[in-house]
Parts: sequence; C-alpha cells; structure tokens
Amino acid sequence: MIYHSIEEIRNQAEEKQVPMWRIIMEKDREERQVSQEETFETMRAMYLAMKQADQAYNGALFSPSGLAGGDGEKLHAYNQTGNSLMGVYPSLVMEKAVKMGESNACMKRIVAAPTAGSCGVIPAVLLAYEELFGENEERMVEALFLSAGIGEVIAENASIAGAAGGCQAEIGSASAMAGAALVYLQGGSNEAITHAVAMALKNMLGLACDPVCGLVEVPCIKRNAAGAVNAVTAAQMALAGIRSAIPADEVVDTMRRIGNEMPVDLKETGEGGLAVTETGKRLRTHFEAENKN
Amino acid sequence: MNIYDIIGPVMVGPSSSHTAGAVKIGYVSGKLLGEPVREARILLYGSFLATGVGHGTRKAIIAGLLGMKPDDIRIPESFVLAEERGIRFSFGEAELKEGHPNSAELLLTGETGKTLEIVGESLGGGRINIARIDGIATNFSGDYPTLIVHNLDQPGHVTEVTSMLGHKSVNIATMQLYRRSRGGDAVMVIECDQEVPEDGIRFLTHLEGIQKVTYLSLL
Ligand code: SF4
Repeated sequence: MIYHSIEEIRNQAEEKQVPMWRIIMEKDREERQVSQEETFETMRAMYLAMKQADQAYNGALFSPSGLAGGDGEKLHAYNQTGNSLMGVYPSLVMEKAVKMGESNACMKRIVAAPTAGSCGVIPAVLLAYEELFGENEERMVEALFLSAGIGEVIAENASIAGAAGGCQAEIGSASAMAGAALVYLQGGSNEAITHAVAMALKNMLGLACDPVCGLVEVPCIKRNAAGAVNAVTAAQMALAGIRSAIPADEVVDTMRRIGNEMPVDLKETGEGGLAVTETGKRLRTHFEAENKN
Repeated sequence: MNIYDIIGPVMVGPSSSHTAGAVKIGYVSGKLLGEPVREARILLYGSFLATGVGHGTRKAIIAGLLGMKPDDIRIPESFVLAEERGIRFSFGEAELKEGHPNSAELLLTGETGKTLEIVGESLGGGRINIARIDGIATNFSGDYPTLIVHNLDQPGHVTEVTSMLGHKSVNIATMQLYRRSRGGDAVMVIECDQEVPEDGIRFLTHLEGIQKVTYLSLL
C-alpha cells in the first residue's frame, strides 16, 4: 500500500471500503514492519503526550526572552466570564492552542505536530473536541492517524518546514491536518475530509515565517490560535457541504510553488517581515547583547 | 520520513533545531567521551550563538552531556543538575571557518582526564551531524552505533578493524576514512547495524598504530 497524494488515500480507502485513517496506518505498518497494535499504541502515546502537555501548562511561566507566557491563562479567564464572543468549542480550541505554544516557548515537553512551532494547532482541536463532545480515545487516535497521513503527503509534495516553505508550511499544514481530523470525528465523508484540507490550507497560503529575534514566540504562538480556529472554520464549511473549487492536492502543490517563490528573508531567517520592524529590531539588539554574556 | 516524523517527536521546546538538536549534540558528545564529564567548554557559532539563550540551547547541550534525551523534562534545570554533580562548564564563541549556521564546538574532559574535541551541527528536525572530532573532519548522524578509530595512516589498520567487526558479527552500515596528511593522523568512522561488543573495542586499543578508539553506543 502506498500513496503520494490525498486523492490516492481517498481512492484506496473507497476501494477497500475502510476509513482513510486505516490506509495511513497500513502504510506505516508495511514501511516500518510493525504490527497493527504497535503502531496504534505509538500513535496513542503521541495523543496522550499531547494531553499531558496540555495539562502541564503553567500560566505563571515566562520564556527565557520574557516575550511569551501567561496568555493562555488570560484566554481561560475570559472564556469563563460567559461573555465569550465565540461558542464554547472554538473558545476552548483557541485557549488550548495558545497554551501549548507558550508551553513550547517555556521549555516544556510538547509533541511536534508537524513542528514545534506549530505544536498547538492539532492538540487544541482534538483535545477540546474530546473534552466537550465526550468522544472515546480510540476515535481520537484514529483522527490523529488521519492528520499524520495528510501531513505526510504535504511533506512529500510541498514542505512542513518554515525554513523551506514559510509559515504556511508549518501553521498552514497543521491547520489542514487538524481540519481533516475534525471532519472525520464529526462523521463527515471522505470527500468532505479532502475539502476541509483544501480550504484550511488555502486560507493560509503565502503566510511568511518571520519570527522576531529568531525565536519561536512572536508571531508563532498566536498563529497557533489562528491556525486552530481556521481548522474549525474549514471543517465547518466542509461538513455543511461547501466544496473547495481547487482540490486539496492542487492546493498543496500551490503551497510548494509559493514557498519556492518566497524570498529567503521570509523563511525562518529572522531577517524579514515582523522580525525587522522597528520593535522587532530593538528586541533583537537587546537579546543579542544578552546572548553574548 | 514516516508518520511519526509528522506527529512527533515528543520533545522539550521551543525548537527542534536549537533545543532538541542541541540536546542530541550534547548526548552524542557525552557518549563519545565514554566517561562522565568533569569539565566542558562549549563554544557556540552562528544562530546557536545569536539566539541560543532564547532557545535554551546552552541548557540543552549541558542536559545532553548529562545523558538526557530531547524529551527529558529536566532539560531546563540542567545547569543546576550539572553543578550538583560537580561538573565545571563554561560558554564562549566558536571561531569556525564556514561552519554550519547551527554549530557548537565542545571541548570535554572526562573523569579520568580523557579529552575530546567535537564539532556538532544541528541540521533541523532534531537531526544532527558530527562534523569534527579532535580536529579531523567527520560526517555522521549519531543514529547508529558508531566506531571512531584514530590511527596512523599506515597500511593494514582498516582491515584490522573490519575483520574484528566481521568476527563479532557486526554489519557495517557506512564507513568513512579521513586523514590529515599522507602518513599522518587518520580517522575511520564506521556506522554499524549492531552494537560493537566491549572486548572488540578493547582489542583495537591494544593494536600498534591505533592511537585512540571512541565508541558511540546507543544502549
Ligand atoms: S513563524 Fe516560522 S517559526 Fe513561527 S510557527 Fe510560523 S513557521 Fe514556525
């Protein structure tokens, strides 16, 4: 079993009349020569590590630079007021995404998904879902397989590294992966899953990687919140029957082309975008002095 | 690349290259030293130097030297843990010529006085390359059990090493040979599919013309 596109995963699933996540799990079994139980338990361990990381959030911590920390706690407090602008689910998604991004900046243990910078998107969407909709753990792990397979195709045909493709490749990929998982959890069709991927990724095309001081803090943490809510947006549209005019695989291909055309200063060098704003430069001078001591 | 390169690894943040990769450079260096570290001088280069504090790169390297892996939650406390063990460590700026942007040079002294000089590069995604050992260029990932033999550039040493490995039923995955000058110091770097037994390594250290044997065990 082998696939190189999202359409191929879907076709094989429909041929064999199994869910898409099974095709992804089978490919891993074959490639790594492991039993079904072994790979399922490995993926479960990833899911549980995400859950642990979410619970280990500490709102009193700040990153070594002092630029990151405490914002997850603020969202949590706001969500508790009952005045939240959004419904309970997207509110909790945002909160968890910011918390995970901050935990990463504060040297806590996280799961790269697909990268450390974008580690908040997928757990936020999944953990909030399990919590609020009472889904069982097996299904959550299945959804995570689906995310992983979508990410695998994106990595093969475009990129999942900010240094290679800009932030569209990190937060954008994570968002597409999370969107697919949500449609699956809600019982959406395979077709809807692929369209959620397409729509989530389309919304993130062109996003630059421009971390201030070269640190995975500004704008990364808040982009996790945006990527996570964007996944919910795309899943909601796909579940409502809305279809992307451009199919998922062509959007992935577009992301690769845009990434290639992007100037290097917008690809994780800390030499462009927000990093070279007046404030960004001031912060950098400050930290560089601190680093030399 | 497999699905656990996409969902995973589990790691201490914030950066797979500047934190997880740095832990691994420290870990592999500590293993190569082959005994507990007594003193470490760590010289940073490029982006490791410029953004190291914010990424916890220094703490990460020390954590690795203490034997921690990239998912160890004690990484942020590594300085304190090292001090508790009486390890002296300091940091500075590396003067490398055209080094990889995320490089560190480690000057290590072990408990018995054994010394080792290593340049490690963090390639991204937590993968690393050991680019220099004791002044001689190398090129290996630390993902395999790795045997490093310093010898005089004389005929016969490669055969001695490979026949020992054959005798111990260790299969060679990759093998690289380097030398400083003809007839001078040479290094063999051999990545293996199996662990090399201890007596095999001891055997090599007793051979004439072999100056130093370093072994990276993954156990
Ligand atoms: S801005 Fe760059 S470093 Fe930050 S999350 Fe996006 S891709 Fe990662």
